[in-house]
Amino acid sequence: MESQIVLDTFIKETGGYVASQLEACTRCGMCAEACHFYQATGNPEYAPVWKIELLKRAYEQRFTLVGKAKLLLGIDKSITDTDIADFSKIVYEACTMCNKCSMVCPMGIQLGPLIHEVRSGFSEAGVVPADLMAAVEKQVEEGSPLGVTDDVYESRLEWVADEWEVELPMDVKGADTLVIFSSIEIMKFPENIAAIAKILNAAGENWTLSKKAREVVNFGFYEGNEERTIMFLQRVFDGAIELGVKKIVVTECGHAYDALRWTSYNLMDVPKGIEITHIVGLIGDYLRTGKIKLKEGAFNDGVVTFHDACKIQRRGGHIKEPREILHVLSPDAFKEMSPSHEESICCGGGGGVIAIKEADPIRYAAFGLKIDQMEKIGATTVVMSCSNCRLQFTDCVQHFNLDVKVAGLSQMVADALVE
Amino acid sequence: MNWTDVLAFARGPLFQVALLVFIAGMAYRLVRVIFLGWQVDKVPARGSKVGGAAISFLKGILIWPFVPWVKNTFKKNPVIYLAGGLFHLGLFVVLVLGTAHMLVWKSLLGFGWKTLPLPIVDWMAAVTIVAMITLFINRLINPVLKLITGPAEWANLAIVFVPMVTGYMMTHHLWFRYEALFSLHMLAVDVLLIWIPLSRISHFMFYFFSKAIHGADFGKRAVEP
Ligand code: HEM
Ligand code: SF4
Ligand code: SF4
Repeated sequence: MESQIVLDTFIKETGGYVASQLEACTRCGMCAEACHFYQATGNPEYAPVWKIELLKRAYEQRFTLVGKAKLLLGIDKSITDTDIADFSKIVYEACTMCNKCSMVCPMGIQLGPLIHEVRSGFSEAGVVPADLMAAVEKQVEEGSPLGVTDDVYESRLEWVADEWEVELPMDVKGADTLVIFSSIEIMKFPENIAAIAKILNAAGENWTLSKKAREVVNFGFYEGNEERTIMFLQRVFDGAIELGVKKIVVTECGHAYDALRWTSYNLMDVPKGIEITHIVGLIGDYLRTGKIKLKEGAFNDGVVTFHDACKIQRRGGHIKEPREILHVLSPDAFKEMSPSHEESICCGGGGGVIAIKEADPIRYAAFGLKIDQMEKIGATTVVMSCSNCRLQFTDCVQHFNLDVKVAGLSQMVADALVE
Repeated sequence: MNWTDVLAFARGPLFQVALLVFIAGMAYRLVRVIFLGWQVDKVPARGSKVGGAAISFLKGILIWPFVPWVKNTFKKNPVIYLAGGLFHLGLFVVLVLGTAHMLVWKSLLGFGWKTLPLPIVDWMAAVTIVAMITLFINRLINPVLKLITGPAEWANLAIVFVPMVTGYMMTHHLWFRYEALFSLHMLAVDVLLIWIPLSRISHFMFYFFSKAIHGADFGKRAVEP
């Protein structure tokens, strides 16, 4: 009985944090207006509050007198296997865990984290979309959802070092900083690796890559599976401990940053004395302290705009740094979309959605909101600091045949470096 | 039994019982949630959790939850913001700033305060009633609200509506004998007091939890909540 496993997991997860927020919900439906999937499709089942419906039902029926009474009287039904199958599609395919909804909710309910709890229950019961699960299993077995095995890793990096003539220090014991790329960058945006290496070298950073910690992506976190999330985090920390670094830098990957920087501490013992930061934060620091210098106005043509990623900006806090960088690179061309900063509209591909083929139609539909935003300001270049967003943008720009250039922030910085 | 007896019962013993149920029920709900346990947050913060929570409450105090702080959300669902906001504002004015209710508070708490002139309170009561009807209709037609509304949600609106309407009719001496209306008003209030701890109208208590969590979660990431 899958529903029983889901129920048990929900109940195990329900502490004061979950319960108090479930209790606070007034069922007003305002959160729907925050969700790009609801806005793009008008399907009421995509309303954030509906995505936590089963968690709420489980809580009420287990912990509250009224919930028990409702169950007895037949007003509410207990959770069935059919419910689980239906909601699995909704919470995996139509939610990027962007947490925009929490900003709109008048009660401030953290819907994103609550939906993550829903995913946890489904993952325990094994009711996860097949595409996503395949990627998770690949990461368990090969160390990477995109098939970046040890061999692939080494040969790709060798090629990058060759192609862009850049030094990529590997397994340097005693280095200060461990940099970990995502397999999206390794396989799809190798130029990002070269760019980040150039920036670090220019800043005189004592950094290294690691063969052990070669994958920052965490598909267990997408799945909502605690055990596998920890397994993938542990691989990263093992690499960091082995090399004795003081700092771990997550590159352009949003949810990996969320898992490592904002979640790992509450799941496991994180090695002491290691700071975890994001490459955008690091570049921002370099610029502020003068460790790197950038050519002013290096990208000053057309209209350049910045897409805020849910996990790096809204949930990561690195909102100011990209602006500081772009005010140097594109002083006249830079223009904000509306809404932006922490209120930004999600790209529609995060949270594992882009890995699920069946979600393609709504993923494209959600991107429609982004197209509107870009068209309103006449953007010719859209910059971002998350390669998962970038994958979604690149794919959608092609799908909709748009005349917009999709750019990674690190790459622009690398191109504008002055010695 | 005549209306005078009913009124005496609804204002006297029944009211006291209802008040007791309300207080005990809310206390139970509060304790229940608190004792479900809280995980200590071990994540090193970038910004201030307390600061975030403070901003979260400043943005959300009293009627401010109904100020659409997030761009582009108001025009997609103006009814909930306007009607929801006016309903709560009206509720506050009538229950706290109206002379009739202030006297009830005075008898319960032992002290009173300055109140607003009757025409203003009366006018706000009318606004509240219209707002509630609007919320009711909105629940009937909005696709998301249709999906998430069950008997309990209808009951919430109805059970708050009756005391509001009977109270309004009393001040205007409409239709019934005054005592009959007053009795109905008090009975409805008693029902409401008993219903609150059993329902989501208790949101005003858990609001303090969720808003604090929201503020702390954003504050620790150095993002404005
Ligand atoms: C801290 C105080 C309070 C806050 C922040 C608050 C906030 C809210 C919010 C945001 C909604 C959803 C929007 C809507 O549907 O209109 C709501 C709904 C509601 N509130 Fe409150 N509220 C508070 C106190 C109260 C009190 C004291 C009552 C008492 C009777 C009350 C009765 C209701 C009812 C009946 C609804 C449902 C309206 C509907 O179903 O459409 N609220 N509240
Ligand atoms: S977290 Fe984002 S995608 Fe998920 S329900 Fe909320 S707004 Fe929608
Ligand atoms: S906006 Fe918040 S209170 Fe309203 S239905 Fe959504 S989660 Fe519940």
